[in-house]
Amino acid sequence: MKRPLRLRLVLRDLGAGAAFGAMAVSGQLPLWVLGVFLLSLVLALCDVRLVARHSRLSALLLVIAAVLLGLRLTSGAMNAVVAACAFAGLISAQRMLSTPDAPADGQTHLTGLLMVAGGAALSGDMTYALCLIAFGVLASLSLALGVVEAAVPDGEPVPVRSVLLPLSGGLTFAVAGAMAFFILFPRLNWAMVGPRSAPGFGAVSSAGFSDTVRLGGAGTIKSNPRVVLRATLTPDPGREELDAYWVGRTYDTFDGQEWTNVVGALRTERQITLRPASDTLLHQRVELLPAYGGRTLVALESPSRLGNAVALTPTGTRASTVQLHGGGEVRFTITAPAYTYEAYSLPPDAKAVTASGLRSEERDQLLALPEHLDPRVAQMAAQVLNGEKEPLAAARKLVSHLQRDYAYTLEQGGPQEDPLADFLFVRKAGHCEHFATALTVLLRTQGISARLATGFFGGARMDGGYLVRAGDAHAWTHVFVPGRGFVTVDATPPSHRTSQGSVLLEKLLALYEAVEGRWRQSVVDYSFRDQFELASKLVRPPRRPAEATSTSSRLPPARAWVTAAVVAFLVWRLGRIVARWPRRALRLEATRFLDRVDAQLARAQVQRLEGESLEDLTPRLAREGHPLALALTPLTRRYLEARFGGRALREGEAEHLLGTLRRALEAEAARRTAEPTGQAGPTARAS
Amino acid sequence: MERLAAQLGRAVQGKPVEVQRVVTCVVAGGHLLLEDMPGVGKTTLAEALARACALSFSRIQFTADLLPADILGAQVFHSQTATFSFRPGPLFRQLVLADELNRAPPRTQSALLEGMAQGQVSLDGETHPLPSPFTVVATQNPVDFSGTYPLPDSQLDRFLVRLSLGHPAPDVEARLLTTRGAASPLASVEAVTGPEELASLRDFAAEVKLDASVAEYVVRLARATREHGDLERGASTRAVLALGSAARAQALWEGRDFVTPGDVRTMLVPCWAHRVLLRSAVQGVSARDEAAHLVEELSRKVAAPR
Repeated sequence: MKRPLRLRLVLRDLGAGAAFGAMAVSGQLPLWVLGVFLLSLVLALCDVRLVARHSRLSALLLVIAAVLLGLRLTSGAMNAVVAACAFAGLISAQRMLSTPDAPADGQTHLTGLLMVAGGAALSGDMTYALCLIAFGVLASLSLALGVVEAAVPDGEPVPVRSVLLPLSGGLTFAVAGAMAFFILFPRLNWAMVGPRSAPGFGAVSSAGFSDTVRLGGAGTIKSNPRVVLRATLTPDPGREELDAYWVGRTYDTFDGQEWTNVVGALRTERQITLRPASDTLLHQRVELLPAYGGRTLVALESPSRLGNAVALTPTGTRASTVQLHGGGEVRFTITAPAYTYEAYSLPPDAKAVTASGLRSEERDQLLALPEHLDPRVAQMAAQVLNGEKEPLAAARKLVSHLQRDYAYTLEQGGPQEDPLADFLFVRKAGHCEHFATALTVLLRTQGISARLATGFFGGARMDGGYLVRAGDAHAWTHVFVPGRGFVTVDATPPSHRTSQGSVLLEKLLALYEAVEGRWRQSVVDYSFRDQFELASKLVRPPRRPAEATSTSSRLPPARAWVTAAVVAFLVWRLGRIVARWPRRALRLEATRFLDRVDAQLARAQVQRLEGESLEDLTPRLAREGHPLALALTPLTRRYLEARFGGRALREGEAEHLLGTLRRALEAEAARRTAEPTGQAGPTARAS
Repeated sequence: MERLAAQLGRAVQGKPVEVQRVVTCVVAGGHLLLEDMPGVGKTTLAEALARACALSFSRIQFTADLLPADILGAQVFHSQTATFSFRPGPLFRQLVLADELNRAPPRTQSALLEGMAQGQVSLDGETHPLPSPFTVVATQNPVDFSGTYPLPDSQLDRFLVRLSLGHPAPDVEARLLTTRGAASPLASVEAVTGPEELASLRDFAAEVKLDASVAEYVVRLARATREHGDLERGASTRAVLALGSAARAQALWEGRDFVTPGDVRTMLVPCWAHRVLLRSAVQGVSARDEAAHLVEELSRKVAAPR
């Protein structure tokens, strides 16, 4: 059997890998499937075909996996689509590792196709599209190489370079054509590319708001650079770093371990007004990304109105109502991976507004202390404040004390009986929740009303809007100042308020997010309306005065004609190139055949005149009565026909002719070695 | 074509290659220039061609006092009807042998030239179409130049092929002596084809396929002659076209319906050697050989398509 071309197998396996990647980016596949496939891929790339030796065993394992997945499916632990995708991945892995013959190749490509289809059902991410393109290109190259390989006879080298070069050109055209098709073809379905993804690979819901804030929770969140929120502000502050507080909710009840709210769900509306305001408000158009993973609306401090929410669910977009909860928290009523909504906030220097959004029981709760509060806390507060009663001044004193004597750390001291006392008197180090809790409780011990607020701090400039990352999650304190309402006071050292991921990673992610945003906008959300707008933009000049439209002719402007002409020209050139392609390929084949004939003749040391072509050589040999002429004549004729007469060599014909020539050359060589002895006789006799 | 060649071979013995070129030239629809010593069978060849193809034939002996009217014809006054009518000259034949073409004055030569190029004759403001097919076989003596008017280059360019027969091989000459006797060699030539068949043969030749790469090869050859240091003037565009049609006819001769680079090389010297102009001012046989040598050298230097 012929040894398969290594490059083709590598391309095939990489193609399958890309197809698997198309599913894996959704982040929904079980980890063990991921592991099994990656291991198989690595083995296959190293040309270790395990299944070739243990095909029965692998089939048994597949059956076991199928049963396992089936059980998970029936128990409801797994989605049917995910189970099918996982199984397709396993089959593909098994096929990759089996003996690389034609059926295995076909099955690998087929499972690749299945996996890509599965990936489409799981996510519509940009990474999915990249995987899809990678699969298409790799699998096409591999298949084409397979066809060429089958046509090349045993022992002959496969002309990889000459195949791949035109093929790459063709693939480029194909990908470009697919894009053109995507842009120009009328969209029949708004959700054509696929559903809006569930949280993507690596986008584990990280910044979710729970009903409680528990001290001693994990602090690794600070280094997570995933973008959770994208907002456009009007008026645009225009700063590089916004460094603003995005409040999600506040807590008023602390029991020594965790913060909760006394009040539950209040009312459900399209729009919730927290603080009525007549001032010019800061408008925010916010998009919550899948990495956010929560249902709480966030807005810049201090939010006035929130609403007009749209949930981006896997089946499409839906308007969502919002629900007001205790602590000023506003939640979506629909669960979806991503949302968009609008919010209005009071500008930072807004005039005092009474806390009218607050209920009486909430207001009472602002001074409540945990039952078993360490007495040292109150002592410490009294000592630091030293009789200061003005709420803001007291808060500032405490803040400077905390920032001076306490260190910021993300390390956890493990579960504590009293985390606050541990922070204040033992470890003297903690993260934002510790600082904020300490400040709030210290203030309350001195009779100053305060509460804990959680949300995000930061906002990095991107494309005219601002990005907030999961690592920007933060907690701070609201101090109630009579006559002014709640004032934000942050006890956390300023350098530790925003996310602390590595700069390079953040830069890369920002770039990715920018591209991904473009992708969402121009691919996932690309609709018939966008097509229409694109077409009308092309046809209509952008800034035509309104009154001119009525008088001007209805003919499209010159720009449209030029565009049409350019497109027509390109299509025509393309058609010319494509039309010439097959003929050129045939000629090349005949020329290759000639090269091989020439090589054989040169090996056999057939004498040729300078610059003498095969066409001239054959009649000369025929005239000289050379025995080779007999074999060369039909061969030369066929070559000329194939090269100049447009009658291509049939499959296997070249090999047949070459074989005849080889035998003739061998016979000729045998005759020549026999000849000198025959000639030696008469010469010897003559001498 | 082969039958035609066989008939011609009967008349002109021992010259298979030259005979084949003549047939190729006729099939390609071109005019033929035979350049050779007297007495090697030029006239015989032309007459045999006319007979074998059953073409109407006339022979014009070109002399220094030959006038255009002598070959084209003239308006003749009829006294009874008091009108002029056109009396066609000897040129109005399907095959015209212009013997010793270079002895006629340029005026006469150019009258012939128009007929060859246009297939028609203009006389007193009237055009008279020449018969079809119309082929001129001209001969000239390359040695004896006294009292001749060398053909202008433009006129040479109108001959598709120039050939020289040369002396027959000694054994052929000996056979001629023994076998021929008194009988004319033309007596044995039979008509194997007619004008119609010749015309369809020409159509066939015109339809022979010329691959783009071969066409490019021809053009590259032409460029090589134009850029050659020893050549005053290279091959013209007409020369390129002529080589194309000659190569087509050659392919047909070989029994193919497509042209190979070999066909081009075969017809290269007969087609182009008389169309290029050497820088050195030699004339006659040596110039002819020199040009043929240069052109042939080019065919080896210019890479043929593979």
